[in-house]
Amino acid sequence: MNEEKRTGSALLADLREHHSQTPRWVLLLLALGAAAVVASRITHLIIMLIAAAVIAYVFSSVIIAFERLGIKRSVAVILLFVLLGVFMMGADLIFIPHLKQEIMHAYAKFPEFSAQIQDTLLLIAEQSAERYPVIQSSMIRLVEYVFGPKGFLERTLNASEILTQVKPFIMAPILVPFFVFFLLKDWPGVIKRVMDWVPASYVETTISVIAEINILVGKYLRGLVAECVSVGVLASGGLWLSGINYPIVLGILSGVANIIPYFGPVVGCTASALVALVQYRSFDPVVNVIVLYIAIRLLDDLVIQPLMIGKSVHLHPMLLVVTLIVGERLFGIMGMILGVPVVTAAQRTVAILLEHHRETLRREAAGSFVKEHLAKAPIRPI
Amino acid sequence: MILDAKRVRRYFGWAFDTTRETHLRTLSDVPLFKGLGRKLLRKLIVDLNEKKYTAGDIIFHEGESGKAVYVVLEGSVKIIKKSKSEHRTIAVLGPGSHFGEIALIGNCPRIATALAEEDSLLLIMYKSYFDNLIRGNSAISSRILLNLAGILSAYIHRQDLFHSSNQPE
Repeated sequence: MNEEKRTGSALLADLREHHSQTPRWVLLLLALGAAAVVASRITHLIIMLIAAAVIAYVFSSVIIAFERLGIKRSVAVILLFVLLGVFMMGADLIFIPHLKQEIMHAYAKFPEFSAQIQDTLLLIAEQSAERYPVIQSSMIRLVEYVFGPKGFLERTLNASEILTQVKPFIMAPILVPFFVFFLLKDWPGVIKRVMDWVPASYVETTISVIAEINILVGKYLRGLVAECVSVGVLASGGLWLSGINYPIVLGILSGVANIIPYFGPVVGCTASALVALVQYRSFDPVVNVIVLYIAIRLLDDLVIQPLMIGKSVHLHPMLLVVTLIVGERLFGIMGMILGVPVVTAAQRTVAILLEHHRETLRREAAGSFVKEHLAKAPIRPI
Repeated sequence: MILDAKRVRRYFGWAFDTTRETHLRTLSDVPLFKGLGRKLLRKLIVDLNEKKYTAGDIIFHEGESGKAVYVVLEGSVKIIKKSKSEHRTIAVLGPGSHFGEIALIGNCPRIATALAEEDSLLLIMYKSYFDNLIRGNSAISSRILLNLAGILSAYIHRQDLFHSSNQPE
């Protein structure tokens, strides 16, 4: 019986030893794999959670401003929602009717507009056929890919396709504000839980890292939103002053596209230039639009970004392309748009964690160096 | 003024954080925050965290990189310094005291170990939040740095007195 017991405990010890021998990276990879499988099943919920986290980060500074007046956090969150409600009602009265009108007009005119763009592009292709035959063939291929039957536009703007894309997000207008409310209200509670859970002597370092990440990611996301709004307003105002059609829709498109570095500004400029080309059937307004977007780009790079985001936190171009492709594959267009800020924030987080790790190693090395030298040559009183 | 603060607080008292108000009163007596008005203290207090330590918990170790300053709200904290082979208690801090303030200057290593002598409630201010707050607020930064300079000069003065009184004649 005793031997049996010993065998059992030895078996348990063997198992424990075997478990402790499994490399950590294998466990990490297994956990990541399992997380990826779960994530692929609930992609829409994840998009809504990410969107809610970004919105919560953006508005957390408003909550802090209320708290600095001595107001309770829960009351501050309710106040924020009331203010946002009033703002949205105001927007519904002033701004939304114009936007609706622009969208309805653009939707009604779309077939005609699309045909005009096709004609203009084919005309350019025809004109350049003699000198540059390569341009002609590429232009024809581009027109077929974008405007042709089962082309990009038909696939994207197909009513059933739009419905399929939008259907899973039907609950978003309720769920996203719901998530935002609780993220804002309960964030200090989460930190408190972490503080209670972490052993006392590790609290300082753990919360310090969380605080640093929180400050940097918050600053980046708030800056990014402020930058996109500024670019959208500038583009909208500039297009309206130049007399280009659909300035509100094009301004919103330019602002949202601006989240994606390098490609975003090109997308906004191309869409506005195409509208100008079809509207005036001349290249002069197109040149005006391009000059406007270059001016906005310069203003953004030299004034808005340094002021709003601070030092550059952009993604490396290679990482950006990978993010866009993976984001599109996993979560569609929303994945492309939200992927950039999420990966940029993750990049900052990893940088902070590595910096803390390096600091710990430096300190440990310095400590052992001093101890070693003290042992060899003890300090004598002077 | 139609909307004075007292009247607002009388009618909407339920909307204000009473725990923070208590902390505010405690903080106004802490030497590190001396001279900061209620308005500035309110800005500071939002970024503070509260944590309960049980008796015997080590709050930080000597030699670790300092990243936060602590204020004792309840209980008591023992500050222990290692010298040669023994551990010497250099201070026992009660409610209203603060410790670890050198962390606000830079990532200096802790010069002593802090240990909760009994069950204690501490307010913790992290250096990163402090740096973020003072970046656009010279009123807070100059006042706290002045207080810090005063506290450090008092330490130096005490050390000098201690050494001179120990010297053989």
